[in-house]
Amino acid sequence: MSKTIVCRCEDVSLSDLEDAFKQGYHDLESLKRYTGFSTGFCQGKGCTAHAARFLAGLQGGDDMVADPPRVRPLLHPTPAIRFAGEDDGGGEENT
Amino acid sequence: MCLIAAGIDVFGRSIKYHRPRGPWCLSGHCSGCLMRIDGIPNQRSCEIHCRSGMLVERQSGWPGTGFDMLRAVDWLSGERLDHHSMFTSSSTMNRLAARIVRRFSGYGDPPSADPPAAVPMRKQDAKTVIIGAGAAGLSAALALASAGHELLLFESSRRVGGRLLDAATSISEPGGRADDQIESGWSCLQKIEKRLADSSGIETHTGTGVLAVYPGERFEVLASNLEQTFLVRAERLIICSGAYEQLPLFANNDLPGLFGIRALDRLVCGYGVVPGEPLVVVGDSERALRLADLLAENDLTLSGVVTKRREGEAIDRLRARGVPVFFDYKPTGARGGRRLDRIELAPAGGLEADLILDCRACAIEAPAAPAYELAYHAGCRVGFASDSGYQVTTEGDGMTSHGNIFAAGHCTGSRSTEEALLHGEQAGRACALSIREEES
Amino acid sequence: MKDRADLVIIGGGIIGLSLAYYLSRMGFSDIVVLEQGYLCFGASGRNGGGVRQQWSTADHIKLARMSVRLFRQLARETGYNIWFRQGGYLFLARDAESASALSANVELQNSLGVPTRLIDVREARRIVPGLAGRNVTACAYNSTDGVLFPWPAVWGMAKTARQLGVEIETFTRLIGIDVHDGRIAKVITSRGAIATRRVINAAGGWSAQVARLAGCQLPNRPYRHEILVSEPLRPFLDPMLCDLSDGTYFSQTMRGEICGGLSDPEEPSSMNSASSFRFLGRMCRSMTRMMPRLGGVKILRQWAGYYDETPDGNPILGPSKEVEGFIQFNGFGGHGFMLAPAIGKIGAEWLLREAEHEIFKKYAPDRFGKNPAPKESLVLG
Repeated sequence: MSKTIVCRCEDVSLSDLEDAFKQGYHDLESLKRYTGFSTGFCQGKGCTAHAARFLAGLQGGDDMVADPPRVRPLLHPTPAIRFAGEDDGGGEENT
Repeated sequence: MCLIAAGIDVFGRSIKYHRPRGPWCLSGHCSGCLMRIDGIPNQRSCEIHCRSGMLVERQSGWPGTGFDMLRAVDWLSGERLDHHSMFTSSSTMNRLAARIVRRFSGYGDPPSADPPAAVPMRKQDAKTVIIGAGAAGLSAALALASAGHELLLFESSRRVGGRLLDAATSISEPGGRADDQIESGWSCLQKIEKRLADSSGIETHTGTGVLAVYPGERFEVLASNLEQTFLVRAERLIICSGAYEQLPLFANNDLPGLFGIRALDRLVCGYGVVPGEPLVVVGDSERALRLADLLAENDLTLSGVVTKRREGEAIDRLRARGVPVFFDYKPTGARGGRRLDRIELAPAGGLEADLILDCRACAIEAPAAPAYELAYHAGCRVGFASDSGYQVTTEGDGMTSHGNIFAAGHCTGSRSTEEALLHGEQAGRACALSIREEES
Repeated sequence: MKDRADLVIIGGGIIGLSLAYYLSRMGFSDIVVLEQGYLCFGASGRNGGGVRQQWSTADHIKLARMSVRLFRQLARETGYNIWFRQGGYLFLARDAESASALSANVELQNSLGVPTRLIDVREARRIVPGLAGRNVTACAYNSTDGVLFPWPAVWGMAKTARQLGVEIETFTRLIGIDVHDGRIAKVITSRGAIATRRVINAAGGWSAQVARLAGCQLPNRPYRHEILVSEPLRPFLDPMLCDLSDGTYFSQTMRGEICGGLSDPEEPSSMNSASSFRFLGRMCRSMTRMMPRLGGVKILRQWAGYYDETPDGNPILGPSKEVEGFIQFNGFGGHGFMLAPAIGKIGAEWLLREAEHEIFKKYAPDRFGKNPAPKESLVLG
């Protein structure tokens, strides 16, 4: 079946975005949560620009998309064990 | 890349619609190449070195990835599926549906390998951390080092160079004509690497991506590789994080066989792997046409090159080789069962596709989305450019809205390699000046 | 936006929306809910979705038990899936004192109809394969506890309330509360004023700030709590796993992600919602200690929200004596979401039909220093 995929990680099609907008989710953060775009493995690298353009187009301007959805660590998914190590003593201690 | 060479086209199935998926960015920023490798799920196979004896498994689909019965969801759902309102008419039905959905949720089974060994943390201080060792980052590093300042340079790929490693990158002298004084990215990189070797005070970590910059009195830069995790307290940052290649939106734009221009460059010219023939290249930049030219030069079958440019050396050469060149079309749909069979294009301004090109692989150019996240999280202002996306806002000398953060290159929205080299150098110098001013 | 309403609810989180939801279902909808951001902006959009009946005070147990019952109906009532999965909660104690406290709690829960069982480490490891059982002195398990996905619960209640006539104004900040002769007269927002006689303060982490606008003092203080989520994986962890020694909790969401957090005794009260490396390191250490195989699971994202905490760990419910018409529904700490349906229903009955309920006496705003409520000790995160 023909779909135009905006967010590959969470499988959000253009129609899914349109549907969410029609249901009243008119800001990027709400649209993101309702459809799931940018909440998957790549955290928006392939879809945020598309979704922002989509919303700006429907809102008739860039104001509603002036700020991207809130950015949080981590930039790439990383195994928990990488952060579980104790300080090996290099460099200054936290004072 | 080995998997593509081995003829695997479907790497996985998408999470909701179970559509066939494969790699398309080949630079570690999408989810198209995720595989289970040696018992660990969801690994970006485009970033992992192939080793003899490695166990690589596909991990999605039921009963399997090649033949996935759950693709029925894709066929039955038309153009959309609102998973929020399904099965809500009765509580019992709802609970049953939830159990079934859970059974098929998630992507990949949990790790079956023994729990990994602890990875040591290394905490250190640095005056300056440079994030990204592409054209901009390398220039910044050289400028800062030549001013006598030490720095830490993190690069997520195994090699420094960024787009300088692409075969289709060429650099013209500033102020010259586009065809004047062309130097290949590779040759430029070699010169840079020589200067790096002759510099002191640059501590470089490749294969070590920066994962976060926690703001504070000093920045905490978190970076990690297989052997070590770094937590660097830095006074200043120069962010040269580049941009993420994008594919445009059109029907079935997620079919395996579609690639970004830089991705195809890396695959064919970097690794010598041809994902299929015939190929199509869609793009307007020098880089796109040079790539098409390189592919044709190497006797690969191109069923078409689609561009807005009407003339130029590359186009002449393509025509001379008998490659059809089409002007001013844009893709409206990709067709194929589990991988690309043909691409449909409509004339610019038109809606109906009247050009259909048979192809197994197609590289399409679209403005890359600047990698603004680290800068934004660290406290820099970003702006929205409607053709490319969010980008780090900078002033002429690479200063961001945060006094201790500089930025250069594609993450700020500037797209050319020449600008990346120039702005990187400016940012490095501005950072050096800022350090000197503080010390005096 | 309306310029007059019978009731204004400050805060479009789960507590405010739950009140609006049950009130409107009872036929009363002359309500305006004010939400400063988008729906799910506050703690209601940032929590791990845990729903448990394992508490140490009778009132919490009863409220939670009622909420579980109501959550089971919510998807059908609102038409939005909340994915409420009753996969259980497993508590681990790591010293003798916690073990005996756990045992006493289980007795109390059983007496109130909650089927928690004390189990041994062997059974715990059957329920959670891969659980490291060293240093565990006691375990408590209740299979009817569970997790849900918070966002659709928020949206579902909001959608139904709107359909029934409640106005929910998002991106609308409260600027002032006008009090005349000791009585609420109107609220002033960033988009205009609303004349009203009754204001409900359901502002979570912002509750004390809101109270000050009305000239009232509340002892609530906001604390940042951090949380993280992993890559989505096929189901392998059924219950919410909780460690009493450091407040670590995590479970697997409907999407397959491992989601949870832990306590930080050094975290001061603040409105800081930034993420820290300190949390990431401590949480990963704790997770991999409790379940070593999680070491190979990739962390996807971390974020933070506020717990609206009170001196005795109990909510603040009911009218403030200082200002007539100013009603508190806040101070839920880290467990507002899971109690919200019960609070909403009881609150709606109390507001509409003046149905008395003991929680308004026990958790009265003026109890501190006079009639303190027993401290709730089973706090996580």
